[in-house]
Amino acid sequence: MNLKIKVNGEDWELDVAPADVLLDVLRERIGTKSPKIGCERGDCGSCTIIMDGRTVRCCLVLAVEAGGHEITTVEGISYDGISELQTLFLENNSFQCGFCAPGIVLSATELLENNPSPTRHDVQEALAGNLCRCTGYEPIIDAVLAAGEGGSE
Amino acid sequence: MTADYPFEAKPESGDLKTVGKPVVRIDGLDKVSGAAEFVDDIDFGPGLLYAAIAESPHAYARIVSIDTSKAEAAKGVVRVATGKDFPYKFGMYMEDRYIFAQDYVRFVGEQVAGVVARSHREAVQAVKLIEVEYEILTPLLDPKSAVADGAELIHPDLDEYTHVPWFFPQTDTNIAHLRKVRKGDTDMAFAEADYVLEDTYHVPRYAHCAIEPHVTVSKFNHADRLTVWTASQSPHTQRHLFAEALAPLGLTHKDVRVITPYVGGGFGGKAGVSMEILGAAMATLVKGRPVKLRWTREQEFYNTYQRQGVVAELKVGVKNDGEITAVEHKLYWDAGAYVEYGANVVNAAGLSATGPYRVPNITNDSLCIYTNLPPGGPYRGFGYSEFHFGLESHMDRIAEAIGMDPVEFRRKNAIVEGDELAYGASMNPSGMIEAIDKTAAAINWGVAEESDNPNTVMGKGLALFWKAPAMPPNASSASFLKFNEDGSINITVSGMELGQGYLTVMAQIASEVLSVPVDKIRVETPDTDRNPYEWQTVASHVTWSSGLAVEKAAIEARGKIFDVIHQVYGYEDDSLYLEDEAVRCKTDPEFSKPLRDFVIDGIQTEDGTWRGGPIIASGKFMPEFTNANSDPETGQGGHPNVHYTVGATGVVLEIDKETGRIWVRKAALAVDAGRAINPDLVNGQITGGLVQGLATVLYEDMRFDEGGKMMNPTFTDYKIPTAFDIPDEIIPIIVEVPQPDGPFGARGVGEHTMIAAAPVIANAVYDALGVRIKSMPITQEKVAMAIIERTEN
Amino acid sequence: MVIANEFDYRRPATLAEATELLADHSRSVRILAGGTDLVAWLRDDAIAPDLVVDIKDVPGLHNLRLDGDALHIGALVTFTDLIESAVVKEHAPLLAEMSETVASQGIRNRATMVGNICSAVPSCDAGPVLLAYDTTVHVTGPDGDRAIDFNDWFVELRQTARTDDEVVTHLTVAVRPHGGVYVKLMRYGGEDLAQAAVGIIAYPEHEYRVAFGAVAPTPIRSARIEDALRGRPLDDALIAEVVAMVRDEISPITDMRASAEYRVRMTEVMLRRGLVAATERLAGTGPAYGTRLI
Repeated sequence: MNLKIKVNGEDWELDVAPADVLLDVLRERIGTKSPKIGCERGDCGSCTIIMDGRTVRCCLVLAVEAGGHEITTVEGISYDGISELQTLFLENNSFQCGFCAPGIVLSATELLENNPSPTRHDVQEALAGNLCRCTGYEPIIDAVLAAGEGGSE
Repeated sequence: MTADYPFEAKPESGDLKTVGKPVVRIDGLDKVSGAAEFVDDIDFGPGLLYAAIAESPHAYARIVSIDTSKAEAAKGVVRVATGKDFPYKFGMYMEDRYIFAQDYVRFVGEQVAGVVARSHREAVQAVKLIEVEYEILTPLLDPKSAVADGAELIHPDLDEYTHVPWFFPQTDTNIAHLRKVRKGDTDMAFAEADYVLEDTYHVPRYAHCAIEPHVTVSKFNHADRLTVWTASQSPHTQRHLFAEALAPLGLTHKDVRVITPYVGGGFGGKAGVSMEILGAAMATLVKGRPVKLRWTREQEFYNTYQRQGVVAELKVGVKNDGEITAVEHKLYWDAGAYVEYGANVVNAAGLSATGPYRVPNITNDSLCIYTNLPPGGPYRGFGYSEFHFGLESHMDRIAEAIGMDPVEFRRKNAIVEGDELAYGASMNPSGMIEAIDKTAAAINWGVAEESDNPNTVMGKGLALFWKAPAMPPNASSASFLKFNEDGSINITVSGMELGQGYLTVMAQIASEVLSVPVDKIRVETPDTDRNPYEWQTVASHVTWSSGLAVEKAAIEARGKIFDVIHQVYGYEDDSLYLEDEAVRCKTDPEFSKPLRDFVIDGIQTEDGTWRGGPIIASGKFMPEFTNANSDPETGQGGHPNVHYTVGATGVVLEIDKETGRIWVRKAALAVDAGRAINPDLVNGQITGGLVQGLATVLYEDMRFDEGGKMMNPTFTDYKIPTAFDIPDEIIPIIVEVPQPDGPFGARGVGEHTMIAAAPVIANAVYDALGVRIKSMPITQEKVAMAIIERTEN
Repeated sequence: MVIANEFDYRRPATLAEATELLADHSRSVRILAGGTDLVAWLRDDAIAPDLVVDIKDVPGLHNLRLDGDALHIGALVTFTDLIESAVVKEHAPLLAEMSETVASQGIRNRATMVGNICSAVPSCDAGPVLLAYDTTVHVTGPDGDRAIDFNDWFVELRQTARTDDEVVTHLTVAVRPHGGVYVKLMRYGGEDLAQAAVGIIAYPEHEYRVAFGAVAPTPIRSARIEDALRGRPLDDALIAEVVAMVRDEISPITDMRASAEYRVRMTEVMLRRGLVAATERLAGTGPAYGTRLI
């Protein structure tokens, strides 16, 4: 089937099978590697992308469903240098292995767009679908709170 | 004894410029920007093939026949492989495993056949067409029944298996290895003890749950060169095991190349060799084509190493004044169908199962028992987390029974420098007492807390931990270092960046010696063709061992730099020093020669000729004071462990008396890092390890059905912590009693931070509710039902 | 792992086109909305349809609005839509409280509440809450439109009153003053399927609705408990009386998520705490919506 999508501002047109999952098409056909394959059932959040402004688990989206939609990945928000949020993650040594990082960066980005001054609970809620096995989350939460506008309890 | 520091006198901490500082990770930008490349992210072009594996649905069965004809004929299929293609054994410490099953399958999920196809979908479709006829046998699913009289032998040929010299398989049993430790006279000590407590503790299996699944891409080219890109903690060990297992195909070590980019979490699960051998073997059947094999999350749970379960029978005797006089610890390990790696977990635990205490009379038996569950293997903590659960629960119970404060009881008995270890060697310097005191203070030990909520109660607990690296006695590290034209440095090592911050720490060590800032030092992940040897990135040993190799290389480079200066300017080497990327001289304060002026092109002399040239150096480290030649009956006589890292963990809990829900309100963890080369990264290990440990006791619960099949191989039903499931507050405490032979005094902390998490929860639950839970996990369901049972009975 | 089975995919532009595709009984057909259950099932080989009909382009199914004294919730309304809706917050706050317990942000952005009740698993979060409200499911099919009382919706495990050739267009939820509570027992603080759940609504004049999730093959309502509560002021004795009925009203199983006995015991606790909170919320007091009671 014909698929037309916009990925990080670029228009793509390609032929996919209905059973092809968006995550695989982004990685193998378009070469966008930041969404990771972690569980392929929506549990871990490492395949998080932003679709039409909201985070989505692209392991649970058929590629054909995404036709006509706009997709942003971490590559798309790092073109002109990393964001303030990413800088805080960097300075705070927030990540260890880094496999969950692209998903967490996007989930936190969505949060801050909708809620510029999140509480610790808000941050936990926004990130609860992104599993990280290394850090115990503390240094990640700290960086998101720091990115918020004077966020507090 | 521990060895003396091998290289040079250590500077005082006040003189350090980079070591001891919370430097930003050198891999940080890669990770926050999405640039970090993992194995599955590498492009291999249109020739890439995909593999999928047919697995046994039975825990124990004889393979009667395998019919692959339909799969071979399926669309897109390039090759089908079975055990007949590879009748070769492999294994890390004991060769008890085949690449594909031969005549028997011994766990649910064991690989029976593999398909290589042009697309992933075609590979998966074709695997469903493989027909295997089995004669189903009765599986042995728990260690106690596997050692019962008359139990069927899962490995009847055990006696013939090749293994390391420190393993002692028991003929005609399912015991693949028995580690015995005997010291003093426990019978007499128990008879003379004022109080003896004996009980049994149960610890189930656990999964590592790195978020990146195992993945490997293997290519065997037309010149018989095997290259394997793999998500691994152990590139050189993998190369060694591939070369050995596939030697019948004519492969030698120089023909095998293992490349390991960033790894998305290891925790022991990516040590040694597990599924990677399948990809490597199948690649040899499709010359010239790269073959990708990626585990699903489900396979990640049931067909990689699992943390072994254990039944721990523990007996401890004390005097009324609180002195521990005897420990008898019998550990029955559920080691699974193959123990090629897991048997060394059993060995390590047996050597150290007294815990961090001074114990004069010891009887430890650690039994590595074959069962028909998935193979056990290394997992952060390497056996210590498992036995600490019972041991540290027991210590609280004994203290209560003799009317002593449990912290005071631990202080009294804690092992300190110079005390004799179970196997006869002496304990290294340690900050155990400081760790206990600081942890106790952080949770306000001794002061009961009251909850404002009528539905909840508060409780506190404290537990100690220790662990030594478990390694072959001659496990080594090496490094290469080279300067570039601008005075920047490239370092190659073969330790793995698993997220712990290894690359950054290596850069800091070189930076300290050479006065070159960390941001001018590049340290990258390994390629066994180019990078020097490292045994594995396990055992919390690379900061220490690889750090020493890097320090040695840096010192060698510095010596070469001084030689050039000496040749050209005549200053004596011992008058020279490095500062801010330049050579300075104590006897000539005016002298300053920037490194970038000469570390490649040398220095021109007055006659117009040049001296020097590219500054390159190497370093290696092997502990030369260890040996594993202990007596099989007593464990005495050897020096198997290099040193122990110690510490303490404390928690404050709130528990809902009706639902059993537990909130960790505060957690404190003190670990003796010797010297924290990067305190921010040590804190990262404390926080991450503690949360991982708390999860094993509070949430994670691996379930098998009566046929030995794992019932919950997904994150939907195997619950690892989310951002909500962490303590409200974590207080990391770094203790620094230097390790005499460590780089700048450092020793490893990576595994230790999860070891005491389980017993500390058990102790705090008891403190809150008066209910002692002796089996893990301590889920809210288990707590709630225990409260109900106590109330109603 | 890839989805091994191949299928056709259609994205109809109208409801009529969608129902026409569903009416083709020669092929097994599945409706795709948010896909968070469907795509996982496809990957697991749990289903192998010939055709997947994606209804996301069908106009009108995204509607979420107050229609007289009923809330109209289109088939494509996501859990995030419910959480962020001012209308829901004002008129059916329990829907938002329930929605916040569903999976995670990235799933809620895509998963629909109608899809949740169509999947009809025992732990379906929307089930107990929609049972507690007066809810009607509106479907359309070859024989035209049909309204199904939500009390008749769940037939058995994973089986609803919708026939394979019908598509749910929307729900209507009657709104009148109430206090509600959704209490969900989970294995930890993060995302989880319900081990057991209780949905309660307190209406004026001591009228209650009580429904349970994950303790029977489908979400269920307890008429017996509701009858016992009706017209009587809530006090400790009445709570004890109805809590004692729980064991007979539910039929939980033991599985890897929880034992049957734990489910019974915790349902008792949740009912007790939930009745108090719902009653307080009706009075304008009590814990804010979204506060966890267990």
